[in-house]
Amino acid sequence: MAAFIIRRLLITCLLLVVISVVSFLIFTLTPGSPFPWADLNPKITPAVKEAYRKKYHLDQPLYKQYTFIMSGLLSGNLTSIKDERPVLEKIGERLPATLRLNLMSLLIDTVFGITLGVFAARYAGRWPDLATSIMAFVFIALPGFWISYLVVIGLVQGIGVPVLGTHSFGLDFKNGFQVALDKFWHVLVPATVLALGGIAAQSRYMRGSMIETLGEEYIRTARAKGLPDHLVLYKHAFKNSIRPLITGLGYLLPALISGSVIVETIFAYPGIGRLAYDAVLERDYPLIMAFNFITAVLILIGNLIADVLYALVDPRVRLE
Amino acid sequence: MNDKSPRARAIERFSADKIGVASACFLVVLAAIAILFAICSIAHIPFPTDPNKTNLQIKLVPPNFTHWLGTDNLGRDVFTRMLHGSYISLTVGFVAVFVSLAIGVVVGAISGYLGGWLDNLVMRIVDALMCFPTLPLVLTIVAYLGPSIWNVVIVIGITGWMGTARLVRAEFLTLREMEYVRAAKALGQHHRHIIFGHILPNAAAPIVVTAVLGVPDAILTEAGLSFLGFGVQPPQATWGNIITDGKAYILDAWWLILFPGLAILVTALAFYLAGEALRKATQTRTERK
Amino acid sequence: MFGVRAFIFGLPLLLCGIVAAAFYSEKNTQAHHKNELISASIGEAHNLNPVQSSDAAASEVESWVCNTLVKYDENLEVVGDLADSWEQKQTTTIFFFNETDAKSAALKVQQAADRWTDWSLVSAEPNGAELHLNFSIPGPKGSREVFALLDHSKIAPLTIVRAELKQAAQQYASNFRKSAVTAPLVKRSWIESSGAFEFTVAGDTKRVVDELQTALGANKSLAANVTTTDKMDYLQEPEIVFHLHKGVKWHDGAPFTAKDMVFTFQKVMDESVASPRKPDFDLFQLVEAPDPLTVRAVCRKPFSLALLAWMIPPLPEHILAGKTTDWWAENFNRKILGTGPYKFAEWKTNEYISLVKNPDYFRGEPHLDSVLIRVLPDPLTLRLAFQTKQTDSWLIDPWSIGRFQDDPRFDLFKSPGRQYSYVGWNLRRPLFQDKKVRQALAHAVDIGSIIKYVLYGNGTQSTGIFPPEMWFFNADVKPFTYDPELAKRMLGEAGWTPGPDGILTKNGQRFSFTLITNNGNEARKDIATLVQADLRKIGIEVKVEIYEWAVFLERHVDTGDFDAVVLGWALGVDYDQYTLWHSSQTNPKQLNFCCYKNPEVDRVLEQLRVEYDRDTIKSLAGRLQQTIYDDQPYLFLAVPKPITAMWKDTFRVLRPANGKWTDEPIRETKAGAGVYQEWFYRPQYRPQITPQ
Repeated sequence: MAAFIIRRLLITCLLLVVISVVSFLIFTLTPGSPFPWADLNPKITPAVKEAYRKKYHLDQPLYKQYTFIMSGLLSGNLTSIKDERPVLEKIGERLPATLRLNLMSLLIDTVFGITLGVFAARYAGRWPDLATSIMAFVFIALPGFWISYLVVIGLVQGIGVPVLGTHSFGLDFKNGFQVALDKFWHVLVPATVLALGGIAAQSRYMRGSMIETLGEEYIRTARAKGLPDHLVLYKHAFKNSIRPLITGLGYLLPALISGSVIVETIFAYPGIGRLAYDAVLERDYPLIMAFNFITAVLILIGNLIADVLYALVDPRVRLE
Repeated sequence: MNDKSPRARAIERFSADKIGVASACFLVVLAAIAILFAICSIAHIPFPTDPNKTNLQIKLVPPNFTHWLGTDNLGRDVFTRMLHGSYISLTVGFVAVFVSLAIGVVVGAISGYLGGWLDNLVMRIVDALMCFPTLPLVLTIVAYLGPSIWNVVIVIGITGWMGTARLVRAEFLTLREMEYVRAAKALGQHHRHIIFGHILPNAAAPIVVTAVLGVPDAILTEAGLSFLGFGVQPPQATWGNIITDGKAYILDAWWLILFPGLAILVTALAFYLAGEALRKATQTRTERK
Repeated sequence: MFGVRAFIFGLPLLLCGIVAAAFYSEKNTQAHHKNELISASIGEAHNLNPVQSSDAAASEVESWVCNTLVKYDENLEVVGDLADSWEQKQTTTIFFFNETDAKSAALKVQQAADRWTDWSLVSAEPNGAELHLNFSIPGPKGSREVFALLDHSKIAPLTIVRAELKQAAQQYASNFRKSAVTAPLVKRSWIESSGAFEFTVAGDTKRVVDELQTALGANKSLAANVTTTDKMDYLQEPEIVFHLHKGVKWHDGAPFTAKDMVFTFQKVMDESVASPRKPDFDLFQLVEAPDPLTVRAVCRKPFSLALLAWMIPPLPEHILAGKTTDWWAENFNRKILGTGPYKFAEWKTNEYISLVKNPDYFRGEPHLDSVLIRVLPDPLTLRLAFQTKQTDSWLIDPWSIGRFQDDPRFDLFKSPGRQYSYVGWNLRRPLFQDKKVRQALAHAVDIGSIIKYVLYGNGTQSTGIFPPEMWFFNADVKPFTYDPELAKRMLGEAGWTPGPDGILTKNGQRFSFTLITNNGNEARKDIATLVQADLRKIGIEVKVEIYEWAVFLERHVDTGDFDAVVLGWALGVDYDQYTLWHSSQTNPKQLNFCCYKNPEVDRVLEQLRVEYDRDTIKSLAGRLQQTIYDDQPYLFLAVPKPITAMWKDTFRVLRPANGKWTDEPIRETKAGAGVYQEWFYRPQYRPQITPQ
């Protein structure tokens, strides 16, 4: 196992180099300048733009730009072109809000997903099952931006409740509890929208897993022995069905800091998705490279963790 | 019942699934409409109503008897545009899935069949590809090839084949250990023949299911890209960019986003339900109950 | 197993309960409004350092936090802000071959004393071989007339010698002036950057050039290139003297002095700062502070817009002097320090910048406790935030004006339009080279319906390059009328006749082109679609393509690779449009991307830059506008009038005017409602000042 992990880590490092080179090439091939505000600005002469390019080393050959960015990234003092702040600081300051949103969304989809899945499995083949599975597919089939808009408009225009941003503005709250509740509300709504797809996936997964477990020999034996239905279901079957969910934890690693541009834009939520999206549109190369690199590390490590967890949970799997 | 072929059994089971059949019927009707418009468009037959005809006197008119789903900010009829959009949205969906399927199946099959270091390498490459930034890739491709439907399709296709590759590989890993594959190998048959002649037909069911489920994913992706301004470009209508064009007017003209959104929702739903029915029908081990 | 079951089904119920509680609380929170103004925009500032920023979001923050030497008032006239007053004058120096000639010339000028008032001449003194003429009004006119009086054969002509080298221009220029034999011939020097400097040479230019070439040529790595550029008869050096307001303090309590302005200028010119404002200051060769309340700025040549460069917020020297730009980035650029009514408090990236009031503001304590400038990523969010009173103002989407106009809860303010939209024809393409064709196209597009349906009636037809509110706008320019029949006739006269498919054809070529624009701008997209439809009616085939902004610029506009383009200019309020229309500005990445070349326009543009006289400027600008409009390099479309909505009775203005306080509702001016923003107050927090 140790040898496997070490070998995988080595391969991961190699992959990271490849990924960083290729993504750097993609970014630099993309037309556009990192100084969008200077575009078509009658006050800004080409000489000024040239001065800017020089300042950020963009006048140098590609390999030098690449080494400049990567060494800056690895030593931790790479700065963004947009506002000259360290990229890690920029990404870091988005983390709390992003984690809040993603954890909330994760909580919602796990709780509702499992419940609905168990519920569907309990009544497999009957109308509650049918209803939950259609609901799950509706959740998957919803275009994200469309439902976000409907929710925002419904709440803001229809009921007059603010949902934009991380908290309400311009109000003089009476106590800390109100402030906290207000903040909580502002996370809750986008998290719910984000969680819809997850609820669907989790519930389908849970249902399948439960039904499979219920078909196992030992459950049938338990049933035959006259164990009450709900005991079979909630004690034995549930415990065994929940296990595969654990192996999925590895994949959660990148998901925790990932962001959804669409939901964040519509809810004006300052998460990491919009940071990355703006960086792409503004061609803030250091920031995109840093973001991309960190995501790649998390995905690859997450895959590794998932593989290892899989082997740990299921003794039949052996890691070559 | 056992004397029937697996395909016949699958068809029989599928036709017993009411939801699946209903979804499939809906999709057939939709496809018929789409094909009709596609033919009109390719053969330059004038449409009954022109989706790009602007008429500013009737802009932002709510749904009524002449304009069933209202008009947009340039006075174009939303219903007509949605009918046209159906053909482009579906084309995007199908072709993108075809692209990703073609790549995914070949890569997955080779990787899973041959195994060993090659498999390892391919899977790591797939890992790496999943780490690539989609948005800059879209920007680059569109910048170099120009904004057209096909480039959007290519983008969705080449960023979406990794899942298929993994699935096909997994199928192949199991199937290559089967008796009949070993027998074929012992008979000295060519690898290509074994892969495409023996294993692939047996792995067809999950691949077809993936394909069916992939279409709505591609449609939704196109809509998402449209929202960000990188999808199929106007004046060509897709469901996604009708919503995008209309989103600014959302508070004053709800019909501009409600109906195309519903169209995407219903179509995607139909694909998912049909796909699910198909999956159930082709599953070798039937579910209890 | 009750526990697990309770868990599975209890948790979702609990969660639902919490959601309901949060919703109920959010709906019924009766918190009252703080004494705060909240504005919002889509873009976020990059950098709040006034010499490094150049985006609208940053200048909004600066408008609250900073003052400038001069500013625009409500009528768009330049008035003092940090400067109580200023005067402009000019020194003209004429160089003679020897001292006697200079003396006799001075005498000659002095004899014409009766004409001094015409020339606005204050004094004429010989100094060695130079004759110094001081004019009370800057500009070329007086100097020209004095010069005409003198014997030209005795005057040493002036030449600008320009040296471009790889590095260290500063060092080489000063070495040369210290040690070279011909150094006395160099009368002025100007270091453009580390890679270029210019000498103003009187008399024998060739000797200077030769010596310079030898000196620089000794070092191969410099790859120096010495050229002579402009020739002049005499040297004109206009200057501006600002008299600063007494007792102005920075937000940290340090006094604001003229040295801060000098420091600001030095930093703008400093290459390591990479200031986008540098082009504004390139013509200044000297900025100095003779005393703490006086700033003297001298130009290298007449440039009538030089004064406007000083609408730059100053940098605090006591904080920034001696620090590197990296230090700036870490410690200053994100917390701006100014002298204005509000102080910087906090910047949460992509959320807001918050400001608090400066009780020591030199014009009096402002009325609001704080100002919040929010960033909202999407036009719809802007509107929703406004409707839930999460922001105090909103730039109305044109299509919802009707709804807001009829709603008694809102006040609407129409701002003057400073931008116009246009279709730019690429004049490199043979299709658009015929002026008659372009004029026909102007008749073929129904601009009235664009205004009516794209701008919802809030706009006027553009009649050329200047915004209608400006004092130099030429109101006599007649707009092209919508007349498709006339357009067809004119195209027919230009040789375009309908082909078999209904498309106009000339010599086998179909009149078909691609119209491009950028995505993300609904109005431009709509305009493109309407132009396409209108031109189709007279038999022109237009394909519309929409590109992402960066791609659009880099691959099409910058390179000149397009047929026609829908764009808009949002212009400053000055009349200098040299970079937009001069024929020297047609290279890749320059702004005359339609490749418009007209010698007469070039001449007027050059003349406008040196003209100080208001009436002359008005007539020149008027001519410029008429000529360009007739040429139709652009199909000038419409000037939209932006409309801002505010909740009724949220703000009033209480401001000092002529030593008294006046209390009035917010009202629209030529410069928008924002000119009074520092004196806004919320009626429920009425300040304790009694208006007299």
